[in-house]
Amino acid sequence: MAKLSVEAKVGFFVIIGIIILSYMSMKLGKLSFKRDSGYILKVFFDSASGLAEDVPVEIAGVEVGRVQTISLMNGKALVILKINSDTKISKNVKAIIRTKGILGDKYIELVQGTEQAPFMKPGDQILNASPATDIDTLMKVLEEVAININKLTGSFANVMGGEEGEASLRTIFENVKEMVETLNLTVQKNNTNVTQIISNLSDFSKKLKNISDTHSDDIRSIITNIHGASEEIEQLISGINKITTKLNQGKGSLGKLINEEETVNNLNDMLADLKNITEKINSGKGTIGKLIKEDETADRINTTLSGINDYIRKQETFRTYLNYRGEYLFNSGDVKSYLSLRIQPKEDKYYLFNVVDDPRGKDSITDITRTINDSTTTERIVETERDGLKFSAQIAKRYYDIGFRGGLFESTGGIGIDYYFFDDHLMLSMEAFDFDPDRNFHLKFKADYTPFNYIYITSGLDDFISDEGNESFFIGAGINFSDEDIKTILSNIPLPTN
Amino acid sequence: MIRFFEFTGKKFISIVEEFGKVMLLFLSAFLWMFRKPFRFRVIIKQMEFVGADSVSVILITGAFTGMVLALQTYYGFRMFGGESLVGATVTLSMTREIGPVFTALMVTGRAGSAMAAEIGTMRVTEQIDALYTMSVSPIQYLIMPRILAAALMLPILTIISDFIGIVGGYLVGVEFMKINSGIFMSKIIEFVDLADIFNGLIKSACFGLILSLIGCYKGFYTKGGAAGVGKATTQSVVYSSITILISDYFLTAAMF
Amino acid sequence: MIKLVKVCKSFNGQKVLDNLDLEIEAQKITVIIGQSGGGKSVLLKHIIGLIKPDSGQIFVDGTDIVKLNDRMLNEVRKKFSMLFQDAALFDSMTVGENVAFPLKEHTRLSKKEIEEIVEAKLLQVGLTNVTHKMPSELSGGMRKRVGLARAIVLNPQIILFDEPTTGLDPLMSDAIDQLILKTQYDTRSTCVIISHDIASAFKIAHNIAMLYHGKIIQSGTPAELRSSNISIIKKFIEGTSA
Repeated sequence: MAKLSVEAKVGFFVIIGIIILSYMSMKLGKLSFKRDSGYILKVFFDSASGLAEDVPVEIAGVEVGRVQTISLMNGKALVILKINSDTKISKNVKAIIRTKGILGDKYIELVQGTEQAPFMKPGDQILNASPATDIDTLMKVLEEVAININKLTGSFANVMGGEEGEASLRTIFENVKEMVETLNLTVQKNNTNVTQIISNLSDFSKKLKNISDTHSDDIRSIITNIHGASEEIEQLISGINKITTKLNQGKGSLGKLINEEETVNNLNDMLADLKNITEKINSGKGTIGKLIKEDETADRINTTLSGINDYIRKQETFRTYLNYRGEYLFNSGDVKSYLSLRIQPKEDKYYLFNVVDDPRGKDSITDITRTINDSTTTERIVETERDGLKFSAQIAKRYYDIGFRGGLFESTGGIGIDYYFFDDHLMLSMEAFDFDPDRNFHLKFKADYTPFNYIYITSGLDDFISDEGNESFFIGAGINFSDEDIKTILSNIPLPTN
Repeated sequence: MIRFFEFTGKKFISIVEEFGKVMLLFLSAFLWMFRKPFRFRVIIKQMEFVGADSVSVILITGAFTGMVLALQTYYGFRMFGGESLVGATVTLSMTREIGPVFTALMVTGRAGSAMAAEIGTMRVTEQIDALYTMSVSPIQYLIMPRILAAALMLPILTIISDFIGIVGGYLVGVEFMKINSGIFMSKIIEFVDLADIFNGLIKSACFGLILSLIGCYKGFYTKGGAAGVGKATTQSVVYSSITILISDYFLTAAMF
Repeated sequence: MIKLVKVCKSFNGQKVLDNLDLEIEAQKITVIIGQSGGGKSVLLKHIIGLIKPDSGQIFVDGTDIVKLNDRMLNEVRKKFSMLFQDAALFDSMTVGENVAFPLKEHTRLSKKEIEEIVEAKLLQVGLTNVTHKMPSELSGGMRKRVGLARAIVLNPQIILFDEPTTGLDPLMSDAIDQLILKTQYDTRSTCVIISHDIASAFKIAHNIAMLYHGKIIQSGTPAELRSSNISIIKKFIEGTSA
């Protein structure tokens, strides 16, 4: 086996390191490209205590998204969820904050309703939300209950404790007492009648016995007996009548309470109120119905709008970026400038067009082969045009955190690889181009750091395996505008008014 | 008594002076990075020495520390039935602490000491003076490439060490201790953030800077022949290790 | 060409150079003799700017190198080269790479051109088939030759020699002396040699300067020194201890 060159060995080593790093970062997957795709749902919680950004959102224990932001709105916690685009969530879903594992990490569980309901659209709000049911909230609920009980007993105490209450209680007791007394009286007054009834009944039974004893007696005597009996029954009925009239009189004293005018008025009022309520409910139903009807209309408008939105969004992903970067080359002390246009039809694909002003100029190489006196000499003429601009045209495709580029690099063929870190704030790239068999190809390594929009700083090594002494360390900066930014800037420029 | 204060005072001033010299050396090495020529080949050579050639050592130490960690945490967690957390524990300790620190200590022993010895020998045999006479800055030619190579290669060695340590932990946890492999992996994914790995790597780059700077400093200011070289080598290892462990605390406190 | 004016240098309070004045003629061989540990090497390192004097001026082609910063000093040093006592070959490189080092650093020659020059220079110092050897495989004399080849590879105007014959057997010493003479004759360079080897000094020097207690006590042609009436020089030349 041939011995590896130093460069190959180091290259191999670095590549292994990067592969392991990429593998681990994809496996842990918290910085991967995936998270950009998905849609947003809003939910309000009374308390988002313990909830953090980037915690999972689960349905039936399966992660379907993550919490994007938590903020305060109108005294409630507004939690924005980012749901994977392939997960559909129905409108009657319920969001619950739950606790996971022994470490007590919070996460959000979505419980789908049983009914078949329409799916949520991006930006919709989950209406049914219940905050964490941990000990704290449990205690809070118990406290509320205790307060209510307290209130209840307090009002009871008011009712019973006041002079009015005492008075009304007294009347209640007096009424009860009166009623019992009249009942007693009634029973006592009818006592003789009752004894009479009983003795009559006993007579009647004796006579019946006599009848049965004198089996052979005349039918007449039976009839007369019946007659007598009926007379005695008449007497009994009048006795009962007497009791009922007496009872009626007693009832009268109870009825007095009901028949008083005030009570009647009260009752009337009550009935009027009831009628009112029903009327109100009736008219209320009407408005609810109306509301429902309007909701449907709004829904219809919504669907139309979202359709239009979808269409616009597709157009919106088509982005154009205008970019300038300057690199200060320490080797020559010159600035190399790039003006570039990036057309991005899709999130993961773009076309890059560059105009490069290289202080080292543009080499045009001509080999002239001369034959003088049978000896062939090859002369190479390298003309360096200092003002010459170079052009790049590249196509780029991105997979997760790694991007590949290919095409024209500074007017020569080449390839490039980019690795994105920290939410695309940091990009490491390696470019290889200018594959001339007579000299080492041009290798460029750079790191672009974008601390915030528009502006980025860059540093790296240019042409670092050059065998012509062109290797140079560089630092630089650049500005980057998207078409949107340009639009905003243009619209914010005050125009002269006539 | 006065002598005591005199002694401590002198000692303190000499420590501060030495620290200042190290910082000046670092500053000039840093500045030389931006002056031409850019010594790509020398840097690559140092990258090979510090990085690629240290892989075997890192693989062995990384794998066994991962395995031992898995074994120890397994016995610990088994007491309350938390065996499933072995993977996450091994991964967190490897990526946050053990990977960066052990790698830095191993490279200190292997490459940091070699830097001190090599530069020290060059100093006592006038090779450094020879560089000066040839209008070549020894700081640019000898020190800058070593510091740069160490700062760049340590993170790569560390990620290899992290990975092989986790593999070792997996081997012990899943193959020997029969923890369910799915649970082992899912707990790792659940508890380990990418930030844990990246912070570990940033730490390791700092350690690379420290060990190479101290190794080069000790070598560059070597005095007194072969014995001086020996002393410089030993001191570089001791000082680098101490500085790495101390700075580890502060870096950890600052980052996590 | 090289002129030192009132140069003072002390290490840890001990004066090594004490108001030293010295003029070195261009395109001549000047040998500085003196006792071992008498500051000869220090003097030489002052000339090439490896050590800065505490006070005084050092002129190289009219430029005071004491005042120069590192970058300007580097430019001046391109006129110089120096052969160190133990040759100071880079022991991580082969002999060929050692000799090629200044060429790679300071010229834009192609690999092949460099190889050719290296072979020629090695041949010039009398070495063949050593290009791919490591310095540790060579004898002391051979190392010195390689060192010389490396010193002359850029055709410098000034060559400094730090004890070129120390530690060599008489035959090898003589060979090195001849080599220095030949090189100086071929390149017309200014050579400054420090030595305590009186015999070789008288053999090759155009001028000799005697360093004693941090001062040049006499400088002149070998004949002038031979007829000197300063007792220390007499003793030094005769080789008897004072």
